[in-house]
Amino acid sequence: MDAISKIVFTPAPIPACSPASSPMLRNRPFIFNILLLLAALIFSIALGAVYIPPGKILKILADQLPWVALEPDWPNSSVAIIMAVRLPHTVLIAMTGAALASSGAAYQGLFRNPLADPYLIGVASGAGLGAVVAMVLNWPTELGGYYLIPIAAFIGAILTVLIVYNLARVNGLVPLTTLILAGVAVGAFTSAITSYLMLTSDDQIYRAIAFLLGGSPMAGWNPVLAALPYMLVGMGLLSISGHSLNVLQFGEDEARQMGLNVDRAKIYIIITASLTTAVAVAFSGVIGFIGLIVPHIVRIIWGPDYKRLVPISIFLGASSLLVADMLARILLAPTTLPVGIVTALAGAPFFLWILRRAKREVFW
Amino acid sequence: MLKITNLTVAYGQNIAVQDISLEVIPGEILALIGPNGAGKTTLVRAVSGLVSPQSGQITVDDQAIADIPSGERARMLSVVPQARHMGGAFTVEQAVMMGRTAHMGWLGRECQDDRDAVKLALEQTNLKDFAHRSISKLSGGEQQRVLLARALAQSTPVLMLDEPTNHLDLQHQTSLLSLVRQLAQEKQLTVMMALHDLNLVSFVADQVALIVNGLLQCVGTPPEVLSSENISQAYQIPVDIVSHPRTGSPIIFPQGIVKERD
Repeated sequence: MDAISKIVFTPAPIPACSPASSPMLRNRPFIFNILLLLAALIFSIALGAVYIPPGKILKILADQLPWVALEPDWPNSSVAIIMAVRLPHTVLIAMTGAALASSGAAYQGLFRNPLADPYLIGVASGAGLGAVVAMVLNWPTELGGYYLIPIAAFIGAILTVLIVYNLARVNGLVPLTTLILAGVAVGAFTSAITSYLMLTSDDQIYRAIAFLLGGSPMAGWNPVLAALPYMLVGMGLLSISGHSLNVLQFGEDEARQMGLNVDRAKIYIIITASLTTAVAVAFSGVIGFIGLIVPHIVRIIWGPDYKRLVPISIFLGASSLLVADMLARILLAPTTLPVGIVTALAGAPFFLWILRRAKREVFW
Repeated sequence: MLKITNLTVAYGQNIAVQDISLEVIPGEILALIGPNGAGKTTLVRAVSGLVSPQSGQITVDDQAIADIPSGERARMLSVVPQARHMGGAFTVEQAVMMGRTAHMGWLGRECQDDRDAVKLALEQTNLKDFAHRSISKLSGGEQQRVLLARALAQSTPVLMLDEPTNHLDLQHQTSLLSLVRQLAQEKQLTVMMALHDLNLVSFVADQVALIVNGLLQCVGTPPEVLSSENISQAYQIPVDIVSHPRTGSPIIFPQGIVKERD
């Protein structure tokens, strides 16, 4: 007994830490991301057929505030363009990016799988089906109608995620291959029903839905206002699930032994992530890969702690989709590409890169 | 005090452990030994509440663990899982802090108690210099110490270890076990551990329970249980047992691998 208790651990020398290349980027994630998002928001409003300089935009926006009255040195048309078209579009795109990135981060943590993405695991298609059912039954003409669409999309999303999860589960784990295969299969199935519903609906609705599902967000303030409360609730609840997601990374058994109420945590995360995804899909259509790419970038730069990963993904998701959307408007101007095409063009190669990394288990 | 009374656990039709009764008092280490698939891991899983027993009772300080919610149970009882490769890029400190889950709220906000417990656990396991390293980049022995530190940070009176020395080399095996030994005495922990290596048993355990096919064959001090008769029967292989020249504790050699010379 005495002999062995004398053996002590001799820690190996710690390699010198290389100083972070950009301390602001690395150490102040929230300040960095808020500044990035503000810049993206301003430029998203500035860009278009008529370029409006950022300085003017700020003045016009400030002038809208009830207690501010500025001497107008801008054409009235600029106000109309900003307030009726570009501002609601920009806000919806930002919310969509934030929602897809944060729910992607949550799904990745929940399934402990780096390739979980609302699009790849079929949840987005399920939400799309739910939304289309609601739209075919009752095309929204006023704000009240818009509020119903996310609820239908949420029901579609939650059913899909439960089906995919149970199909993909092997011995309590959700392996990469079965998850993606189940996601693709269920996604194809729900997409088929969606197409059928669209074909049997009238022409005008068909075109509107096809446009939306092709990855072109709805226009105007109604979708923004209808999405806002759901988004705030969904992303707010997701932001505080970080600790549970962290503990779940050790597996369900160990999480239980550490005292986490695993079943409650899983239900909480599935419901909030599916709600958040569903709202994004309901008004912006199926936009892939944002939910995959953004959490990965956050993980690489700011580490795997979900307490920070989820909130940072909200900000970076918004900025990223705004950038993709600006590209969609610029690349073939005056034609606007569906933003879903741009995210897919950038995202598919990224997906393959992660697939190769995942094999080598660098991050997982 | 950990008390297991007439415990039977079944997975569907398969009975994994049957009618097992054991008792461990604070400051004492009970080692569970037996062939693969004997039910050692099942016993650990049942005591930690991962599987519910078909019959029987498990109590910690006279409180039945089946009756208490998972959060409270994790404040009474912590588990060091089997050694394995850990992925994830959490730092050692983050991983050990997660051992405080049962003491934190839903948000996982750390208070001073949590930071103190983590600091102490890192000191006890000699991991202080590793605090900010990523766990995935540690060696097997270091990772196992992280899992021990995480369980220690949980600050529970009962500590369970499921074959903690698998895949560890001689130095790390002995240093891990001597640390557990030392903590059991100093902090009066009640320790139950499943062990594979029979020759480590007498170094670390006060009591040994030999389990075969889900049944408790015998329980007692290491010299009592580690007889050639018991071991030969349990492992279905003839063994020679010699006394350690200095400590006198039994050392086991399977006869199959001892070369005969004549």
